[in-house]
Amino acid sequence: MSALVAAEPAVRPEPMRSEAAAPMPRPAVNPGLAALRLFLRNPSGLLGSLILIGLLFAALAGPHLYGVDPFEIVGAPFQPPGGDPLLGTDYLGQDILAALLQGGRATLLVGFSAALITVVIGVTFGALAGFFGGRVDAALMKVTEFFQVLPTLLFAMVLVTLFGQRIAITTIAIGIVSWPPTARLTRAEFLRLRGLDFVKAARAAGAGPLYLIGRVILPNAAPPIVVSATLAIGTAVLFEGALSFLGLGDPNVMSWGLMIGQNRAYALEAWWTVLLPGAAIFLAVLGVSLVGDAVNDAVNPRLRKRS
Amino acid sequence: MDPVLAVEDLTVTLTRPDGPVPVLERLSFSVEAGRTVALVGESGCGKSMTALAIMGLLPEGFARTDGRIRLAGEDIAAAQPSRLRALRGSALSMIFQEPMTALNPVYTVGDQIAEALRLHQRLGRRAALERALAMLRAVQIPAAERRLHAYPHELSGGMRQRVMIAMALACRPKLLIADEPTTALDVTVQAQVFDLLKALQDEMGTAIVLITHDLGAVADIADTVAVLYAGRCIEQGDTRSVMRAPQHPYTRGLMGCTPHLRLGAAADAGTGPLREIPGLVPPLGRRPAICAFADRCGRADATCLDNPQPPLAEAGPARAVACWHPEARAA
Repeated sequence: MSALVAAEPAVRPEPMRSEAAAPMPRPAVNPGLAALRLFLRNPSGLLGSLILIGLLFAALAGPHLYGVDPFEIVGAPFQPPGGDPLLGTDYLGQDILAALLQGGRATLLVGFSAALITVVIGVTFGALAGFFGGRVDAALMKVTEFFQVLPTLLFAMVLVTLFGQRIAITTIAIGIVSWPPTARLTRAEFLRLRGLDFVKAARAAGAGPLYLIGRVILPNAAPPIVVSATLAIGTAVLFEGALSFLGLGDPNVMSWGLMIGQNRAYALEAWWTVLLPGAAIFLAVLGVSLVGDAVNDAVNPRLRKRS
Repeated sequence: MDPVLAVEDLTVTLTRPDGPVPVLERLSFSVEAGRTVALVGESGCGKSMTALAIMGLLPEGFARTDGRIRLAGEDIAAAQPSRLRALRGSALSMIFQEPMTALNPVYTVGDQIAEALRLHQRLGRRAALERALAMLRAVQIPAAERRLHAYPHELSGGMRQRVMIAMALACRPKLLIADEPTTALDVTVQAQVFDLLKALQDEMGTAIVLITHDLGAVADIADTVAVLYAGRCIEQGDTRSVMRAPQHPYTRGLMGCTPHLRLGAAADAGTGPLREIPGLVPPLGRRPAICAFADRCGRADATCLDNPQPPLAEAGPARAVACWHPEARAA
């Protein structure tokens, strides 16, 4: 016993200061860097980020570099790609390449913002319901069900019609109609995790409810939520497309959905007018899905052993 | 000396649709600084419920309906939730049975030990990590510097339990509750963990409530022992004297169930077959008012079956037993 006490003075607070003089051992690799490396080593992560970076670059810098107003009529309608406007013109004679570049901004902005709204509302509802259970759970889940039983597209259309066809309204409408699945997923994860030993141990160590929700349970619930968030980006992009296709987008802001919507009557004669923006939407959704998958693999320490 | 923990008449009740069900009945024990009290008994006797009641972490439906729990004089059973949170992890902490699942899989063990220090002692990240490293060394984890940044899944069961001990003791609590801390571990590791607990206790003066069915460990490290049966304390006293001369037939039966290793000359002294106690602990809600052990007891007679269970009664120096027919005290 005395040997132990002599060998381990570090438990007493006083000698701790001398201990502090010694350099702290650093982790062999920074965990953040390790996750990043793992992410980039994953082929789908690399491919997904290349796609997304490419699309973001095109949307942010493209309009400046190309310099053509997408609403300007540059020539005869329905010119096929490969001619003077590189990707042809649409039913009004507007430059499709210019519209794709400019439209990417709105579409991606709506996608990311709406997904953010979805995740914030969904995780908040799900976490509170799953953690507290009982009446809180019952009340929050009733609200969730209320939103869930409404036909999403119809509800979003009503919101946009009521509050105006503006891009901010579209974004909020998409966020409001699409959070229930995220809330359910988060709730299920919290219900599963809250009874586990390490949560009890954290309680026994004096953690309060907010700490338990945010620091103990949420990180463990993160992988499926991250995946669902990336899926939400894809869904939001598609949703924006659907609303614009139905003529409920913001007519003053070029977006990929708007392009498809305006040209849909001529899809058979001038396929490029709808196929090109359609392909852009496809690429964006594919990109975020690949990235989401890779992020999930990289941030989950239990899966790290794979590398 | 004032006890660190004094449990007085602790009664815990489970509320069921068909009425309240007693879980713990008028349980009393206390433990002083640097001492260890062992709670023993079969599964379902209320040992873990006692631990959770002291921590103020009873599961939904269970509630303390009577009695006091004093931690250094303060009645923590009546404390505000915020006060209780401040005490948990700093003045009283708990080690759980399953080291495999009691650590958070997404944080390194260093971060987890440091977290308690940051919560309770408002240490900075660096200072807390340094203390965490010191704690890892104190629980004798080899290559502590490397383990500090290890995730729980990278450690063995014994090491994880050491980490749990390090977490529990990081804030130098007055009271440590160890709920079957070694059940999930190898026998050799069990002995190491008990030795470690004892060594740290000697150094920090922590009072320990040890919940276990390992009577060997009880004999080894507990100063006093309380035997629980069906939510009632049926015998308590000084460990040596209880172990040497158990007075309640249940205690005697428990000890008969413990294998003794006899070697050399002692091997010839007759190793009878391991005995068992017939029957099961009566489940919650089916506990009679009479001695709950009566239907498993070889000594039960009309007195036992017709009268409510006797309260714990003085039975020698620092001994108490709740039985109509206690075994005669060993000469």
